[in-house]
Amino acid sequence: MSQRHSDHAQDHTDVPSDPALRVKALESLLVEKGLVDPVALDVLVDTYENRVGPRHGAQVVARAWVEPAYKQRLLDDGTAAIAESGFSGPQGEKLTVVENTPSVHNVIVCTLCSCYPWPVLGLPPTWYKSSAYRSRTVMDPRGVLSELGLDLPDAVEVRVWDSNAASRYLVLPERPKGTESMSEADLAMLVTRDAMIGVAKVASPRVGDGA
Amino acid sequence: MNGIHDMGGMQGLGELGYHENEPGFHEAWEVRVFALVQAMQVGALRPYIERIPAADYLRMNYYERWYTALVTRLIERGIVTRAEVERGHADPDVVKATPVVTPVVARELLFRAPRTEQDIALAPRFRVGDRVRGRNIHPTTHTRMPRYTRGKTGVVERDRGIFTLPDSERVSAEPKPQHVYLIHFTAHELWGEEASAHDSLYIDMWEDYLEPA
Repeated sequence: MSQRHSDHAQDHTDVPSDPALRVKALESLLVEKGLVDPVALDVLVDTYENRVGPRHGAQVVARAWVEPAYKQRLLDDGTAAIAESGFSGPQGEKLTVVENTPSVHNVIVCTLCSCYPWPVLGLPPTWYKSSAYRSRTVMDPRGVLSELGLDLPDAVEVRVWDSNAASRYLVLPERPKGTESMSEADLAMLVTRDAMIGVAKVASPRVGDGA
Repeated sequence: MNGIHDMGGMQGLGELGYHENEPGFHEAWEVRVFALVQAMQVGALRPYIERIPAADYLRMNYYERWYTALVTRLIERGIVTRAEVERGHADPDVVKATPVVTPVVARELLFRAPRTEQDIALAPRFRVGDRVRGRNIHPTTHTRMPRYTRGKTGVVERDRGIFTLPDSERVSAEPKPQHVYLIHFTAHELWGEEASAHDSLYIDMWEDYLEPA
């Protein structure tokens, strides 16, 4: 290892110029030592690449829009209501759902790391974990939202949720106008990840959508 | 600790870098690091991520931090040696272990939320509606109290239940379960008169982070 490495003492392992090679080496070491089962590893990769993601959250939101009793359960006990829809797992021990209304807008951030409700949104996008989003959203939520294309009137109350302890959060966005006749499945298609983080609203369907 | 990871309220940390519909992983190795962490079941990596020197932390991408933290933890626990990591091969005389996470366990992990809430009786120090202040403390190791809450007064909105104080994970071997409260701060209180009078911030805080106001 380089001189730089020893300067950093044991708190730090030098990051290679090619992380792919380093990770491959670590993986083969752990498999060789019998610490990791390669088939289990493939199951985990497949799970988090393909099986969890924001479509789960979108189903929860759409159901809450069409089923008032479910919406109430969701707001009262997010974890139980989301489990009722079939979603649970790591980073989902305690899920809190916060509702956007014409007068209240909620937005989620984790200033200390990257806390995020995996069972309903999957793994977070890079921008959610960026230094800029983490540092600015608590102090200047309106500026961040505006930069992301969402300008909120002064009269709207902005609630920032710094998610880094017991709970993970999901925003229940407002149901857009012009969706009264849409099915739950079609509604779910409208719901975006950004809207469930609270950096966007759900747009009304374009004419012809959901017909 | 007052590390670079405690970013809330800092300025000048660059662009948001927003991309619509961005995937959770950009390169194949990133999901493999993520999966290795799940497969090793080594517990929270956050304290190790926070120990990465600030300049390196800012330079690294997110999963490079995970890789670094995982390797550091595995070495400190004596699960692998640094020489093995450098070589990518086990020491010749090593006794082969049995994987904790089998394919069956891996499939179950998707549906199992690890339970950290404690079912014990413990009187809460604060009640809903109480005014509380973030204590002026500067732990030198892992904490979940962001520095922007220190000295600020808020109101207890909800009692979240009892969870082990994460600060005790490294400071002491003795777990310290206590109530966690959802605290409501006004934007004015946290950021001054220039912040919007309508806006507010909510955050879960362990009892040890708070004092009566």
